[in-house]
Amino acid sequence: MKEEIKMIVVLSLICGLSGISLAALKQVTAPAIEEQVLTYVQAPAINSVLSDHDNNPIKDRKSFDVDGRTVMVFPAIHDGKLTGVAFETSGKGYGGKIGVMVGFSLADGVLSGIGITTMKETPGLGSRVADLSYTSQFSGHAADSVKLKKDGGDIQAVAGATISSGGTVSAIQNAIGIFNALKNSFGKGWS
Amino acid sequence: MNRLWKEFSKGLWKELPPFKLVLGLCPVLAVTNTANNGLGMGMAVIAVLTLSNFVVSLLRKLIPPKVRIACFIAISATLVVAVELLMQAFSYPLYQQLGIFVPLIVVNCIILGRSEAFAYKNPPLLAVADGLGMGIGFTLSLTFLGSLREVLGAGTLFGVAVMGDWFVPLKIMVQAPGAFICLGVLLALMTYAENVQRKRKGLAAVQGATHDCGSCGGCANVAKSQ
Repeated sequence: MKEEIKMIVVLSLICGLSGISLAALKQVTAPAIEEQVLTYVQAPAINSVLSDHDNNPIKDRKSFDVDGRTVMVFPAIHDGKLTGVAFETSGKGYGGKIGVMVGFSLADGVLSGIGITTMKETPGLGSRVADLSYTSQFSGHAADSVKLKKDGGDIQAVAGATISSGGTVSAIQNAIGIFNALKNSFGKGWS
Repeated sequence: MNRLWKEFSKGLWKELPPFKLVLGLCPVLAVTNTANNGLGMGMAVIAVLTLSNFVVSLLRKLIPPKVRIACFIAISATLVVAVELLMQAFSYPLYQQLGIFVPLIVVNCIILGRSEAFAYKNPPLLAVADGLGMGIGFTLSLTFLGSLREVLGAGTLFGVAVMGDWFVPLKIMVQAPGAFICLGVLLALMTYAENVQRKRKGLAAVQGATHDCGSCGGCANVAKSQ
């Protein structure tokens, strides 16, 4: 009996201490990890979708609330004037979520470009939604309704990857909704 | 002091983990496509192995024998998650490269093997020496295998081009089959070298990788329980 109790106590103690120390470590490293993820995962996408800017979009990022969700917005500022914004949305692909960074140009209200941040699509097939030949279709596209050709729009889907293409399109559609909701607050400039 | 050196140095050649004990092959085969990845993985293993040996050794009188494996796993899992968090916070590109293999250190048999075979029966200082030695041996092996595959498969070493323009990289060496080919050839060469040595001493040749299993202590346990 004594042995059983000792077993339970020791194992519980070890696991409890592990849990506490890991929780503490996670809290301490969280800001550093967020910074690293932004720098290595999102920065390349952000810089490719924003039109010319002379600021650091990651450093100047701000959070906005849209319909109860928090959206991290990265601004493009040129000569002190807000010229564009970018933020990430996601759509359902073939292998889980596809993260899409969508850039908007404020002056003419069009998409300035899109970039794929995270995805687990089939290599060589669905993964081709990250190729320039697909993503470049969105640069300069009007920020109203984005649809695949089969749904009556003007976006040519990647051959053999309708689901992946649909995922990116719904992510962009989502982003347009957010953009329209936030348009007025962007008009006030970035401070 | 003598004992300390003996426990430290056995991991460097006599019981070199991947090549002599042929243990922990999952990371050995999977992440050694470049020298840098091998080194990074090795560093993570050194940290986890040394710390887990130390903690297990400190707690060895407290941990009841019947739940020792569960305790070892809890301890090494904690350390692995800690290393993973620190890696994400301070060296994100390496974390992206190693990906799933960092969490898999938990089930790397070297960690559990050293806890069970050594740290559970020896004082903390010796356990740390054992962990450090094994970890460094593991790192050297991984870095060596990674360098070999990177030079043959990409013509670079730590990302710097080392081969001339005439060199056509053998793409297969940086892919999964290259790992098996390299490891197999290395093991064969090591056995050959050992047999040449044994022949000089007038001993019979051995087949395949060898190690002194007496140091493991597993057999002694079996003998005790019978």
